[in-house]
Amino acid sequence: MKKNLLVLLIFAALLNLAACAGRKPAVYKKTKPLMDTLVTITVVTNSEGEAEKAIDDALSTIDRFSGLINFFSDRSELAQINGDAGIRPVRVSPDTLGVIERAVFIAEKSGGAFDPTIGPETRMWDFPKKIRPPDASIREKLGLVNYRDILVDREKSTVFLRRKGMMLDLGGIAKGYAADMALENLKRNGITAGLVAAAGDIRAFGLKPDGTPWNIGIKNPRQNSKADELIARARLTGKAISTSGDYERYFIEHGRRYHHLLDPKTGYPAGGCRSVTVISDSGLYADGFSTAVFVSGPEKGMRLVTDAGVDALIIDKDGGIHTTPGLKGLVTFEDGH
Amino acid sequence: MKTVIRNTTCADRLLFFLLILASCAGIFISREAVSQSSDVLIEVNGKPAYTFPLAGDRTVTVNGPCGPTVVEIKDMKVRIREASCPNRLCLKEGWIAKGVIVCLPNRIVVTVGGKSAGSPRGVDAVTG
Repeated sequence: MKKNLLVLLIFAALLNLAACAGRKPAVYKKTKPLMDTLVTITVVTNSEGEAEKAIDDALSTIDRFSGLINFFSDRSELAQINGDAGIRPVRVSPDTLGVIERAVFIAEKSGGAFDPTIGPETRMWDFPKKIRPPDASIREKLGLVNYRDILVDREKSTVFLRRKGMMLDLGGIAKGYAADMALENLKRNGITAGLVAAAGDIRAFGLKPDGTPWNIGIKNPRQNSKADELIARARLTGKAISTSGDYERYFIEHGRRYHHLLDPKTGYPAGGCRSVTVISDSGLYADGFSTAVFVSGPEKGMRLVTDAGVDALIIDKDGGIHTTPGLKGLVTFEDGH
Repeated sequence: MKTVIRNTTCADRLLFFLLILASCAGIFISREAVSQSSDVLIEVNGKPAYTFPLAGDRTVTVNGPCGPTVVEIKDMKVRIREASCPNRLCLKEGWIAKGVIVCLPNRIVVTVGGKSAGSPRGVDAVTG
């Protein structure tokens, strides 16, 4: 009898050990400064080694892509396109061609509210140094802003800007596209759940280890304290979310706020909204449309998102909140909003 | 005492052994949990360069692409004391006891308070 009890106990102990050896899925996270911001990748897996490899691989994909489309680097493919504007078409890699084609698509869809040829205008502003270009220069460069003058030849894999002085700036779309690329990379490495966050451009897939969707905070565009105050939370899986806000890069001069979201039709910061959050199936569209809707303003912006089939949360210049019906159940507002 | 030991069965002894093992494991588990909430992690270019306990005062110089950045740990708080980056936004962050200080130009990230730092009120990421 005693012997039987002993055998039973040893068996129970072994079973316990075996249960410990088969590790449960856990969350692994890594942050790296890339694309002039912080990129954080979170994955759910039961192997630390697998997590490390998949995250590093995805981060280097973003690093490579960032090298191709960096507006400020002389060696990027984007710099070559800009340098040869009005001179000759430039042969580029499929990724650069892909992001430019999609940028033109969003420009067309938004009637030019998003325009990747805004480069000559953005280059003149310096927000950390509070530099506002002279009105005459803003007007003069406006003639160089027109997405219809981007000629993409898919067969030859070339991009040509029709007029000299034109400049592509993919800042309004690149981080969303990078998040898409990183996510595909994670999936190829066998990851089935995670988050890719290129600053505020986020893609979520799969579920957390506790079986719930990812919880994404949406920042309040007017912070009362320093502690990253939220206005709402979104519970997401299989979706992308991006926000464009007038509080990211800005300065205030004579009581007026000058921010980085320039209206391609005027060359000045767009004034209709404080922030626009877009939820879509793709990071690129979430990123591009958040800029386009911000520039369009709340009324036109709402029509735009309905046409494009994406969801949006718009906070207008007076703090009024506008949402699409699709957000119901996805987004909950914090107390007081 | 001897009679007590003689009266125990094999199963009893095994149970004692397992109990002792479980209590030892508790020490290691709790030590790991405590260290997560009070470490200072300094990363350069996405790679961990140093990990220090928040409890010990020290000053360390790390080199990034723009040059040296001096990180100071004092009285359970951390700050960037000197920086060679152009805009020096990291200096303006001042002392922190929890959270992250980032110097983008010099590619330095200082994290205080373990892996959950920087995710306010239970969210996994923040947009905006």
